[in-house]
Amino acid sequence: MISRREFVTGASAAIGVVGVARPLLSWGAAEAPAIPGKHGMIVRSLRFLDLEMPIEYGNSLITPVEHFFVRNHMHEPSTLDPGEWRLSVAGEVKTPLTLTLAGLAKMEQHTVIDTLECAGNGRAFAVPHVPGVQWEKGAVGTARFSGPRLRDVLERAEARPTGKHVMFRGLDEVPGKVPAFIRSIPIEKASDGDTLVALRMNGAALTRHHGFPARALVPGWIGAASCKWLTEIKVLDKEFDGNFMSPGYRMPNLPVKPGEAVRVEDTHPATALNVKSLITSPGNGASVKSRAMLVRGVAWAGEADIAKVEVSTDSGATWQPAQLGKEQSHYAWRLWSYPWNAPKPGAHTIMSRATDTQGRIQPDLVEWNPSGYLINVVDRVQIHVQA
Amino acid sequence: MCRLNVSLAIILWLTCVPVLLPQSVDLPPGPLQAKMKTACSECHESGIIVQQRLGRAAWTKEVDKMIKWGAVVDPGDRNAFIEYLSENFPADREPYVAPRTARPKKK
Repeated sequence: MISRREFVTGASAAIGVVGVARPLLSWGAAEAPAIPGKHGMIVRSLRFLDLEMPIEYGNSLITPVEHFFVRNHMHEPSTLDPGEWRLSVAGEVKTPLTLTLAGLAKMEQHTVIDTLECAGNGRAFAVPHVPGVQWEKGAVGTARFSGPRLRDVLERAEARPTGKHVMFRGLDEVPGKVPAFIRSIPIEKASDGDTLVALRMNGAALTRHHGFPARALVPGWIGAASCKWLTEIKVLDKEFDGNFMSPGYRMPNLPVKPGEAVRVEDTHPATALNVKSLITSPGNGASVKSRAMLVRGVAWAGEADIAKVEVSTDSGATWQPAQLGKEQSHYAWRLWSYPWNAPKPGAHTIMSRATDTQGRIQPDLVEWNPSGYLINVVDRVQIHVQA
Repeated sequence: MCRLNVSLAIILWLTCVPVLLPQSVDLPPGPLQAKMKTACSECHESGIIVQQRLGRAAWTKEVDKMIKWGAVVDPGDRNAFIEYLSENFPADREPYVAPRTARPKKK
């Protein structure tokens, strides 16, 4: 249950995002903008706000909220009064509900540690380039989310057997004629005991950037499934028909040649995340003093678990097993490390690849698709070892 | 309890203040600069534009999508928009280097 004190803390955090307007910068300038509560983040967009975590910040099981990536499709809600906020539950249910934040906080709370990754993470590596936020490596993070199970909410509303999908609508403010950001997930995933109406993140109320006061949390799936600023849950007899379900967030049914157009009828919704590892240290372009170093990174696999991570220091000719970290939680990334002695000073390339319990393995080359989704190519960093 | 109520009242008032965020890089100078900013600025600032590296066909699709989604573009300017974007942000241009948010000042 959320205490009044925690409630105040959460609301304070929500206020913390109110920034100060600054003048336009000159063409090409890259002055650091100030965004309270989000320090040292890579600015992909300020409005709508899209912030990427520098991958060197990913060296812990739990990513601090300060460093957690932000992906907004629309303007954040300009007004958020938690006392007035309501969550409606309707559609294919016998008992439509209107829930308050206090009511949700009184329900049984469940905690899930989830690695949340934007479907477009790695889009910048697609060749030919594809439009969209040009995420490189850090549109991903791992947090401890808590809140009532979505299935408990659906049970309270007495969802009917005709309900096959569950739709989420947030309070995102939609400009112009842009389609509203509304998505749905199948009832099977909605009924999973780890799918939440999340109220808390890393032990505190959600901040505004992360969906205060409530968001869906669909663990192991692309971040877009976990709609923020949740205000409506609707049980549907079919998948929601809207731009962000189709043509948005869909994957080709078959591999496509880079640059090739794909008809929407030859696609399916993007759901669970791919298997993927990233090197968090040393950083790409680093100049290191010592030949002896500890290569570190993270690896995750959506709804599967990581089976192994391997490292190559000879351009992929041979691969050596990395040591997997002891901390484990289904849906959470796994830390890994690999001690390495560079054979000589100069330029070196370090590569990492993960294999999961479904037998999936990171590919050597980008598996291109028209939207740049779920790119999980073998990770590479180039370093210089000083003489 | 009274202090808590006052805090909550302040919080609720502050959460009603529209969010003002800092702005990003400007678009390249040229006759289309002002029109681009006017057409695009209801939804987003220029940072999302300047990071794209696209060919003319892809820019054409993007401009048409944005017009469909409410960007106010005079029909006579459509081709000029595509030209401006294709020339300034082509597929073979070097990658955009994104800024980082400021770190807290040391006290």
